[in-house]
Amino acid sequence: MRFYAKYFAQRLLQFLLVVFIGINLTYVITHATPIDPVEQSIAAVTSFGNTSPEAINMMRQSLRELYGLTGGPYEQYIAFWRRIAVADFGPSLSAFPTPVSTLIARALPWTIGLLATATLLTWLLGNLLGGLAGYYQDKASLKFLAVIAMGLHPVPYYIVAFVLLVMFGYLWPLLPIAGGYGMNIEQGLNPTFVLSVLKHSILPALSLMLVGLGGWFLGMRSLVSNIVSEDYVVYAELAGVDQRRILGSYVMRNALLPQVTGLALSLGAIFNGAIITEQVFGYPGVGSLLVSAVYAGDYGLVLGVATISIIGVSTAVLIIDLVYPLLDPRVRTA
Amino acid sequence: MRRVLSCIAAILCMSFGLVTLARDCAAQGLLANLPRNETLILENPEGTIKNAGWFNIWAINAGSQSNGLQQAALDTLWYIDPNSGLDGVWQNSLAVEKPAYNADFTEMTVKLRRGIYWSDGVEFTAADVVHTVTTQIKHKNMRWSAALSLNVEAVEAPDPYTVRFTLKKPNSRFHALFTVRWNAVWIMPKHVFEKVEDPLKFDFNKPVSLGAYVLHNYDPEGRWYIWRLRDDWQRTTLGAYGKPGPKYLAYVDPGPPDKRVIAQMNHELDVIHDVAPEGMFTLAKQSKSSVAWFKGFPYAHPDPTLPALIFNAQNELFKSRDVRWALALLIDIKAVSMASYRGAATISAIGVPPTGRHPEFYHAPMQDWLAGFELDTGKRTIKPYDATVGKQIADMLRPSMGDQIPSDAKAIAAAFGMGWWKADPQAAAELLEKAGFKKAGSSWQTPDGKPFTVRVVVEGETRPVMTRAGSMIVEQWRRFGIDAKVDVAQGTLVTRRAAGDFDTIMTWSVETWGGHQDLSYFLDSWHSQFVAQPGTPQPARNWQRWSHPDLDKIIEDIRKVGFDDPRGLELGREYVKIAVREMPTIPLMAYNVFTVMDTTYWTGYPTSADPYTDPVPNWANSRAMFVKLKPKS
Amino acid sequence: MLTTLRDLLRYNVEFRIGAILVGLVAGMSALSLFSPYSPIDTFVVAPDMPPSLAHPFGTTSRGQDVFWHLTFAIRNTLAFGIVVALLSRILSLVIGLVSGYKGGWIDRVLMSINDTFIVIPLFPILVLFYFVLRDRMSWTTLAVIMALLGWAYDARLIRSLALSLRTREFTHTAVFSGMSTRQILAREHLPFVMPIVFATTMNNMNWSIGLEVTLSVLGFTDINSPTIGGMIYWANQHTALVAGVWWWLAFPVVSIIGLFIGLFLLAVSMNEHIDPRSRLRRLGSGGGS
Repeated sequence: MRFYAKYFAQRLLQFLLVVFIGINLTYVITHATPIDPVEQSIAAVTSFGNTSPEAINMMRQSLRELYGLTGGPYEQYIAFWRRIAVADFGPSLSAFPTPVSTLIARALPWTIGLLATATLLTWLLGNLLGGLAGYYQDKASLKFLAVIAMGLHPVPYYIVAFVLLVMFGYLWPLLPIAGGYGMNIEQGLNPTFVLSVLKHSILPALSLMLVGLGGWFLGMRSLVSNIVSEDYVVYAELAGVDQRRILGSYVMRNALLPQVTGLALSLGAIFNGAIITEQVFGYPGVGSLLVSAVYAGDYGLVLGVATISIIGVSTAVLIIDLVYPLLDPRVRTA
Repeated sequence: MRRVLSCIAAILCMSFGLVTLARDCAAQGLLANLPRNETLILENPEGTIKNAGWFNIWAINAGSQSNGLQQAALDTLWYIDPNSGLDGVWQNSLAVEKPAYNADFTEMTVKLRRGIYWSDGVEFTAADVVHTVTTQIKHKNMRWSAALSLNVEAVEAPDPYTVRFTLKKPNSRFHALFTVRWNAVWIMPKHVFEKVEDPLKFDFNKPVSLGAYVLHNYDPEGRWYIWRLRDDWQRTTLGAYGKPGPKYLAYVDPGPPDKRVIAQMNHELDVIHDVAPEGMFTLAKQSKSSVAWFKGFPYAHPDPTLPALIFNAQNELFKSRDVRWALALLIDIKAVSMASYRGAATISAIGVPPTGRHPEFYHAPMQDWLAGFELDTGKRTIKPYDATVGKQIADMLRPSMGDQIPSDAKAIAAAFGMGWWKADPQAAAELLEKAGFKKAGSSWQTPDGKPFTVRVVVEGETRPVMTRAGSMIVEQWRRFGIDAKVDVAQGTLVTRRAAGDFDTIMTWSVETWGGHQDLSYFLDSWHSQFVAQPGTPQPARNWQRWSHPDLDKIIEDIRKVGFDDPRGLELGREYVKIAVREMPTIPLMAYNVFTVMDTTYWTGYPTSADPYTDPVPNWANSRAMFVKLKPKS
Repeated sequence: MLTTLRDLLRYNVEFRIGAILVGLVAGMSALSLFSPYSPIDTFVVAPDMPPSLAHPFGTTSRGQDVFWHLTFAIRNTLAFGIVVALLSRILSLVIGLVSGYKGGWIDRVLMSINDTFIVIPLFPILVLFYFVLRDRMSWTTLAVIMALLGWAYDARLIRSLALSLRTREFTHTAVFSGMSTRQILAREHLPFVMPIVFATTMNNMNWSIGLEVTLSVLGFTDINSPTIGGMIYWANQHTALVAGVWWWLAFPVVSIIGLFIGLFLLAVSMNEHIDPRSRLRRLGSGGGS
């Protein structure tokens, strides 16, 4: 147990270090953007009006103060970390004075809902089918599935999403292609809303599943086919143990471990937001928030979203690394 | 194993059943609980609003403006229509008459309309106007704080229906702040805002309307807003024109251009704000119920904005007007029109948009002067103006577009524009040589012996038509031997434009009222007093950072004459002549907006045949549409 | 080496199909040398013509021949993918081998850096780089940046291999005979690692090209030189789909799908070939399963 405590401390330290470096890197790059949020705001005000140039100059100065952009880079950096320490990302510059955390909190449930469901379903289905394919290596139906999985898996996600959009939005308009739910429906736990949300999530979820299925399928299949030739499995087969029992208790359970690792990583990556999905299907979520923030030069919002994503992925990796040695006694990391 | 597969099959069947069920539940239309034939669905070009529940339009950049808030719920003193107006270009809205200035334009008095009520039953009075002005002067960072603090010395209400402004310095166009050309200073409800501690942090949710519609429902994710007609609509300024047709207005974010086209073909979007020209042509061909501003080509509504190729006058290379003219003469406007708008462009050779009443006041009367304009290339004198370019474009398109192209000369001039500069590479070469440039082999060199490199900044995907125009110009310059390249700015365009971080840029520095001939809307900001030093940001609109003593004189003279004074028109024409001689920007065409309207549920949209306003839905003047639209029975 | 290829082609269906697909795509890119049109000119042919004998893939709304434009697009896209893959392989090899072999604090430092790179949200960083560099964001710059971001996963893989190699007999022999670290890594360990590296190269190419396509389609790259993502971008700009100009979208999409599936099949079959058990299983059944 002494070993584990030492290992735990080391990994935790590494986690904190990684998060720190990651946030700093994002901060540096964000502040290197040439988009000036003050200019963006001024443009928003003046592009249709005929504000006099003097008024514009006046606005520029006072907006700069309001957004907290005065002071040199060092002071802004200190102020930033002081706020992060209390989990306050500050106000959004492109939707002033709404706090960044409010905007993220509104978008996050959509992203988590869609991606968590899609990821879990894909994982379950992919591993199930992959396991079967790895064990029953001669079944034609499973070989056919393998071909489809291998065909879809490498296709760039954008193409798959685009083709789905064309098929179901344009050629056979069966499903809605924009929005998280229908118009004029009250948000809440009423059946109309829930059904509408489900309906609007079918296409985005489907696109994610089609692309993700292949990965789990192929991974599980190769894992299982390796295990199948292990001694204990052969012995069980020769001893006449029921095939289903072999598949369930002997083969799949051993193969699942690396896949669980993968699942944790994928769940962590949810916080990246499926940016392309949200752009293509007009789905509300953290990804579209990020893109519009980048366009508007909104440092606070970009940093907020990026930080959540960094912490999410790091935590997932940390949990895997901590849990793995407990699950698999064969692993003892130095 | 078989059981597993059959389990999976069962789940798939159930999901399919769920889909069908869901489809039926909402199949009664994309709008739940709203009668489709009483709802007008319009596009909000702002897209999905980040901060959806914010309706305080007086705070900068906090929420949406054109989600119906400024079009349907707010009001101010006057409106100028970019076209002809419901009953004339000038509309007295909350005011009953035009602004009254004293002799030296240091005082303005406004008489207000009686019998107008806010949607919560409180009457509109001068106190609201006074509160609007004083609040924004007191709190620095509101939308009109700077403009009002610079101009207003004092504001008072001698009686509940009169407002008197005392100005800090003479300003004959002070009323422009309260005159809607897309938007203006909206009046805020005193009885709501006086209770608010910090108006910058107040979200004004639910908004109290002065206009004819109130907020019915909205999407917290920012995709749709629904407004409902007030029961007491007669107590609003719009009500004077009759009962608005649509009971509900839905402003939505329909997504990228192809989704908008699909939505209208499925009759789920009544008014499209803008699409690519190809989308327009598709709708014209495939959707019989869709109408646009023009019945045939070029379909689009020309906004009173003038996209041009703008030079950075502080860049050494472009200080000589010969160089600028040379680059202008290399442009074949027909090719640019084809590349950008597929021919559906209204060209303009002069620095005034060919829209609204301007062709009548500027373009037509100046044709003779333009035809006689002479340019000295160093080797000879040429007359670069070609008055038939508009007709040439029409002739070019007629074989493929057939009878959608007008044949009448006046109709062609209205649709495609009149003339432009003749593309003349020979003269361009002579002008460049006159400026000291040399041709080395097949490429041109500056007087310093360096290769002649020009970057054209374009916006990118967010403004595809202008990007295409810029790309075509780059190509034409390149074929001539200039090292020209496109530089896509995407989201950084606004910052770069203000910073002067460009050689040339495809954007616009000319925007006008449209219905009124006065040019001060943009021209005032072109005075040399506002030109920024290189390296500092330039305030709107003189992006080219160009100045000329003759132009300064014209601008100062305009400031001294009244808004409707005919002398203003003469001065405007003087500006046009200077701009032609010096060519600080190369005017190209009007900003054509492909606004498409679906007549399946509503009829009575404004078109060129009945130009009572512009149909472009994010303009606040589009409220005139609401009273003229009738349900299709 | 040649016998390996021969074996793969003869016995492995996936390799055959993969090789054919990649060969077709590479062939298309080679054809770009014979193109009668320059790739950056527009309006050189009549726009919006459907596929015909004169224009086998049709023409675009910008007046370009889709077939010849596609040859350039494929060439640029392929070149980009190869450059990224090469650069990032070098990085992941060096870091993975050194980290796995040396262990200790070097390993920990390198792995912390590695974790940081895994954790950073890729997309916003790329978009931000584009905004910052814009004019100077040529293909080579983007390739270098993506190589810098793409070595992390594979470095971990190589490291775990190096960890197991470290404890092997021949490594001890090499150490005792006085070889330097550099010599050991280059001469003894590298040959073991190379097969894995080849397989990961294919995946890495897929990843980088996929990301490039995504960025181009959203308009975040140099729109002057043609790539497959750029073609899709321009097609969307001109609402090609709704306007009925399907050929402008279909052919680039089909070629990219073909390329990706081909590369993937090559990777999968090579992976299988490397593992002697699966190789024997395939060869033992008489080939062509």
